[in-house]
Amino acid sequence: MDLLGQLVNIKFYLLGSYPKGDVGGLLLNIIMALMALGLSFGAGALLGYSRLSCRLYIKIPSMAIVETVRATPLIMIIFWIYFFLPYIFGGNVTLFWSAVVSLAIYAAAYQSEIVRAGIIAVPRGQLEAALSTGMSRYKAMMYVILPQAFRIMLPSFVSFFVSLFKDTSTVFIIGIIELTQAGIIISQREPDKIYAAYVSMGIGFWCVSFAISRVARRLEERIGVFDLESIRPDACRDEFMLLPREKKTGEGMTPAACEPEDSK
Amino acid sequence: MEFNYEFDWAIPFTDPYLGMIITGIKVTLILFAATTVTSLCLGTVIAIMRISRITILRAAGTLYVEIFRNVPGLFWILFFYFVFPELLPEKWGQALNHYSHYPVVAGIMGLTVDNASYVSDILRSGRLAIPHGQREAAISTGLGRVQQYSHVLLPQMFRVTLPPLGTRMVHNFKNTSLCMAITAPELTWATQNIESLTFRGIEATSIATGFYIVLAGIMVSIIILLEKYLKIDVSSINQSSA
Repeated sequence: MDLLGQLVNIKFYLLGSYPKGDVGGLLLNIIMALMALGLSFGAGALLGYSRLSCRLYIKIPSMAIVETVRATPLIMIIFWIYFFLPYIFGGNVTLFWSAVVSLAIYAAAYQSEIVRAGIIAVPRGQLEAALSTGMSRYKAMMYVILPQAFRIMLPSFVSFFVSLFKDTSTVFIIGIIELTQAGIIISQREPDKIYAAYVSMGIGFWCVSFAISRVARRLEERIGVFDLESIRPDACRDEFMLLPREKKTGEGMTPAACEPEDSK
Repeated sequence: MEFNYEFDWAIPFTDPYLGMIITGIKVTLILFAATTVTSLCLGTVIAIMRISRITILRAAGTLYVEIFRNVPGLFWILFFYFVFPELLPEKWGQALNHYSHYPVVAGIMGLTVDNASYVSDILRSGRLAIPHGQREAAISTGLGRVQQYSHVLLPQMFRVTLPPLGTRMVHNFKNTSLCMAITAPELTWATQNIESLTFRGIEATSIATGFYIVLAGIMVSIIILLEKYLKIDVSSINQSSA
């Protein structure tokens, strides 16, 4: 019954104090996740592609960036962006933008891994065929490899979005009134109904990420089946695994050829 | 580039603060070790439930994963810290609230239930990757249900899923930093504490960030080494089973 009582606060959970104040609540979580994903997409694709480069002076720095960000807890990135960079370099960062930027930095590292895996997953024959028709490497990448790679990546992107959405809950630590903070505020307002406030907060997160993860699963089923069964010939199926883990032997011309380890 | 900040690297190494950082590192490692063990155990149990033939067990396992995977780990940490004592009988709840290490315990519980759902998902996909012949061979040598799992299936499940499991554990290690939200005195909390006491948190935070990066790097390299050491030639298995 306490749970039904929380319906009074449903607007605060969903929108924060929106018409009078800033947008907050669940909507803010979704906005932050979408913006972080959008902002980081370019950087992520660039990093992922340059990790496949055969030129060490491109490959090593991008690898270092990605691995460093991936090894840092999100909460640390948030602290760095919000508290310390303004300290060091001066200037002011608003709460919202520092949250979005730190989420974007975090997302870029993970997206680069998805992009890299997607490019590796495109069969090598595709690049060879494109090059043999006289396309330049750039054109082959743009018109042949990347369109296919993005199809393969799409399910991973959607499931990454679920995890990014859940990670937006972390930014409550700097005092943004998103769903977690909203729940905490309400639970402090009504200390005898802590349980109801937290459960409603959880239900909010659960509904959104359950819905998106369903979409991800649907995409996985559709795209996975389409790729493996109808485009790719049966004869060399093991070349076409979605995430090849083993190093390909023999010399090839793809960027993947110089990619020694599929780390972790 | 102009710096508005003068670094003072002596601060994190002076008396009360150095102790905070060391305690923080200890608590972080305790959280990580404990959650790794517990979430592997819980995750294995749930993975077995999800692949079992008994419908109720399978439904319960799926329900667990659907509930726990779709809610942030931070929520479970907060849940176990603030809500769990309320749900218990009053006496126990108060005992928990007065227990001075309860933040750490609540953090372990929250991280465990969150991580276990991922672990069970990974292990389940590992079970699907094992050829049927393995199970049939186990049955034909006369192993019972439990022995089939303990001697034949589980070791292979862990082997096949080592890379994703390892990534998950690194993720879990980073997630221990979320426990600062419930004032568990782990490393991130310690740096924020130093920041609020001295207004000079950058040095401590740099040290903490470095610690996380180095330890995650060490874990990744251990996993890569293990992976090489334990690698199964999948193609040979498939050939022999065909």
